[in-house]
Amino acid sequence: MKSIWDAKSLRLIAAGIVVINGFFPAVWILLTSLKTESELVSKPITYWPHTPTLANYVQAFTDQPLLKYLGNSLAVALSATVFSLLVSALAAYAIARLNLKRRQLILTCIVASSMFPLVTLLVPIFETMRTLGLLNSYTALVLPYIVLNLPVCTLVLVSFFQSIPKDLENAAMIDGCTRMGALVKVVIPLAAPGVFTAGILAFVNSWDEFLLALSLNSNPNFRTLPVGITLYQGEFTFPWPIISAALIVAIVPIAVLIAIFQERVVGGLTQGGLKG
Amino acid sequence: MAAPTTWDRLRDPSEKTLGFMLLAPAFLLLALIVVYPIGKLIWNSFYDLRLSGGGGIKFVGVENYVLVFKDPDFWNAAKNTVLITLITVPGALVIGLGLAMLANLPFKRKWPVRLALLLPWALPLAFAGLIFAWFFHTEYGVVNDVVRRVAAPPEPAMWLLRPNWAFAAICLTIIWKTSSFMALILLAGLQMIPKSLYEAAEVDGASKWQQFWQITIPMLTPSIIVALIFRTITALQTFDIPYTMTKGGPGNSTETLAMLIHKTTIDYLDVGYGSTLAVCMFVLSMFVTAFYLKRIGRNA
Amino acid sequence: MIRRTSLTALMSAVALVAGLGASATAYAQQTTLRVFSGGANQRPDLMRKLFDQYQAKNPNVKVEIETGGATSELQRQYLSTVLNAKDSAIDIYLIDIVNPAQYYGAGWLEPLDAYLGKPADVMKPYLPVYASSNVVDGKIAAMPAFADAMFMYYRKDLLDKHGVKEPKTWDELSAAAAKIQKAEGNANLQGLSIQGAPIEGAVCTFLLPYWGQGKDFNDAAGKMTLDKDAATKGLATWLSMVDAGVIKKNVAEVKTPDTVNEFKAGQVVFAINWGFAWDRFKDDKDSTVQGKVGVMPLPAMAGGKSATCVGGWQWAVSAFSKNKAAAAGLVKHLSSAESSKFLAVEGSLLPVYQSVYTDADVNKTAPWFKDAANVVIAGKSRPMSKDYGQVSDVIRTTTSAVLARTKTPAEGVTEIESRLTRVMR
Repeated sequence: MKSIWDAKSLRLIAAGIVVINGFFPAVWILLTSLKTESELVSKPITYWPHTPTLANYVQAFTDQPLLKYLGNSLAVALSATVFSLLVSALAAYAIARLNLKRRQLILTCIVASSMFPLVTLLVPIFETMRTLGLLNSYTALVLPYIVLNLPVCTLVLVSFFQSIPKDLENAAMIDGCTRMGALVKVVIPLAAPGVFTAGILAFVNSWDEFLLALSLNSNPNFRTLPVGITLYQGEFTFPWPIISAALIVAIVPIAVLIAIFQERVVGGLTQGGLKG
Repeated sequence: MAAPTTWDRLRDPSEKTLGFMLLAPAFLLLALIVVYPIGKLIWNSFYDLRLSGGGGIKFVGVENYVLVFKDPDFWNAAKNTVLITLITVPGALVIGLGLAMLANLPFKRKWPVRLALLLPWALPLAFAGLIFAWFFHTEYGVVNDVVRRVAAPPEPAMWLLRPNWAFAAICLTIIWKTSSFMALILLAGLQMIPKSLYEAAEVDGASKWQQFWQITIPMLTPSIIVALIFRTITALQTFDIPYTMTKGGPGNSTETLAMLIHKTTIDYLDVGYGSTLAVCMFVLSMFVTAFYLKRIGRNA
Repeated sequence: MIRRTSLTALMSAVALVAGLGASATAYAQQTTLRVFSGGANQRPDLMRKLFDQYQAKNPNVKVEIETGGATSELQRQYLSTVLNAKDSAIDIYLIDIVNPAQYYGAGWLEPLDAYLGKPADVMKPYLPVYASSNVVDGKIAAMPAFADAMFMYYRKDLLDKHGVKEPKTWDELSAAAAKIQKAEGNANLQGLSIQGAPIEGAVCTFLLPYWGQGKDFNDAAGKMTLDKDAATKGLATWLSMVDAGVIKKNVAEVKTPDTVNEFKAGQVVFAINWGFAWDRFKDDKDSTVQGKVGVMPLPAMAGGKSATCVGGWQWAVSAFSKNKAAAAGLVKHLSSAESSKFLAVEGSLLPVYQSVYTDADVNKTAPWFKDAANVVIAGKSRPMSKDYGQVSDVIRTTTSAVLARTKTPAEGVTEIESRLTRVMR
């Protein structure tokens, strides 16, 4: 798209602003993780650590089983993402493509479930999981996370499915495909950017979630990262350097995943849009 | 021809059956996880259920709702919540759109810009609030350090201790965090716009500005609506960032509805009133997003 | 032959039943108690040793620690979900001193009278404050684990250097701090550091100058007896110190760790903080004030008396526990004089027993406990209300707002009174 951004210098400046905006807090956390706590009250404040140290990382890993938390978060977030996409894709296809009578109502119901503050739903959800014997397991979190992600993912997918012309599917079906076949072979590939978008949305929402993870998975073997990181503090202490080290451990996998998948979202299988 | 058997119906189902099958997993999960809690919530909202009173339950009908309307804390929190929504939703949209368009440009190395775009999102929400509270800290914050180097004011500004500044700092943090969410959705939408449309417009002599308003925005409208719905619903439920940055202070000038509900339910152990507030928040959210939802429903 | 077979069969059956019965009783005797034990500041490592001691004496009991309550706030978030759902997974909780009334009122705690005895008798050897904070509706709601109080730490070296005596009133302290600040000429030196952020400690910030005038916030029945003028004067005292430059202007941002870190870095003359700070000043590798720190009772207001805020943690048995008797037994051990001495010697945790303060071994390892004893024994407890969640929230947010100067002291006190009159009647 030709625009005022053609001038290379203008683009670089803009890119610079974007990069600083996105990276600065992460860089700040990284630098803090290399400092000692006493350096944090020096006046004026310091940016680069006086004597960089890796001791905080060592303590972050020894104070708590950080790697275990990381593994748990990955397991839960990945499963939740896969299943969220599955359930949402089916629902979104039904809403977007099928001539269902109460389509509006169905969509509203799905979206409405996200309009209640989670803190007020905690106790009944806890009771449900306890009755099912699922407390302190990956399932205990994955099931609610699917429900939490359902509104976003469904809405995103509905909007993307709607923007794909029906002719392509009809063509496929004339060629002998069933509806489900058309969904899998035609619609999903064309809506790939939407699918990956919904996937990343679901993943980061599941990765970040705190309240349910705190209440349902209190056993350290199943504890997730956000909860684990809040446990470095004490009633009277808030060790920023150690917490920063743990935050870096939490951010890096996501950053890597984003770096890998942003190609898919943007570069995509569609080569920048439908042809013709 | 014989009547279709069940197997026939499964292999090539009618629209109605197919719809049923496709929606079943979603609704089964909804039923399992949230229908009972939401039902219980609405039920509780009609009772005086305060655990501090020994947990005795008293049916009070709509009295809780009347109390809500007379409660100055509710109106204060509602006002703050609506203000945050009105500021951060368009704010995140505009900045998100800018970021998305920037990420869409043909850079030689694309990953720094795109990673910078999405990194705000990788930082867990609660810690984003704490980090930005640190940035705005009077003595140890980066903001005041930069201001000191550039302008050397006689006294450092106490950002989080002045109601309006604290409110602005919170909105800024929220926009920072959520503009990448918006950018992600809009970027995917941008990618679905066929380049041929722009090429044809160029040939027809349209300016870049015209192209933006007549091609980009209309084609992007579905994505924009999706992004807006979710940003709005989330904005109405803003909790983590004000909670970690100012705990609602100074006083309760930055207390949102979700914070009031959290306080009422967990600190005051007033489950009945907390449920009433939650139902009011739901009604508010429904009211605000109904308009958007109609748009999507129509776009079939 | 049939007879022999049936006799054998009968005997085997009896043996089988006997065997099953024996193993069943043996199995039934193995109890596992799960304890929700708090975060780093509550020394789970020392608590583990106390549990091991108990396990050694009671082989049929196994004690497991459940982590996750790093701060009072996180604890409350977790417990309000789990206990609202009447979960029986945890048997014993380590809760803050302000919580027994509220948690007992919510029906979450098991009264321990049946297992330990009459409240008056059980509470006698402990510090006086526990008779009011742990006994709710005439029942024992929790047993003391270790105590805490707010102390006035100060830079002995700076006071000596400038010939200043230990101040006995707040006015004297303000003058002393100002004198030292002026003489040192260090722009970064604070006279007094207090916590003004809307944290639980801010409730103490409100109460200290109020109590220092000899006033009480509530009577024994829990009804609020707020003296508005005294409360306004108390808050105004803090603000006058801010105006004099003794307390820094952004005091409403200061939390407990900030005071400690700044004092350690040598930036503070007087600091109010909890008992744990003493060891941090003395032992931390990065402490620049080692050997330079003194402790003294909190000043009084002119014409009033010195008062401090008591903290500390308590052991409570869950009302939903399936092993209440066993849990009560463990709690009895944990709140015994021996355990109190152990925690004092090994962890410098303030004892809950009056007698332990003057114990020879304790005084060897923590000589400052002798001075601390008077402070803690004279300490007062924050309002013990079943609605403490609301009481605390109102007092701390209003105090912080006054310190941030978004409300005047008079406005703040009026707001506290109007909001709490209904709650504390």
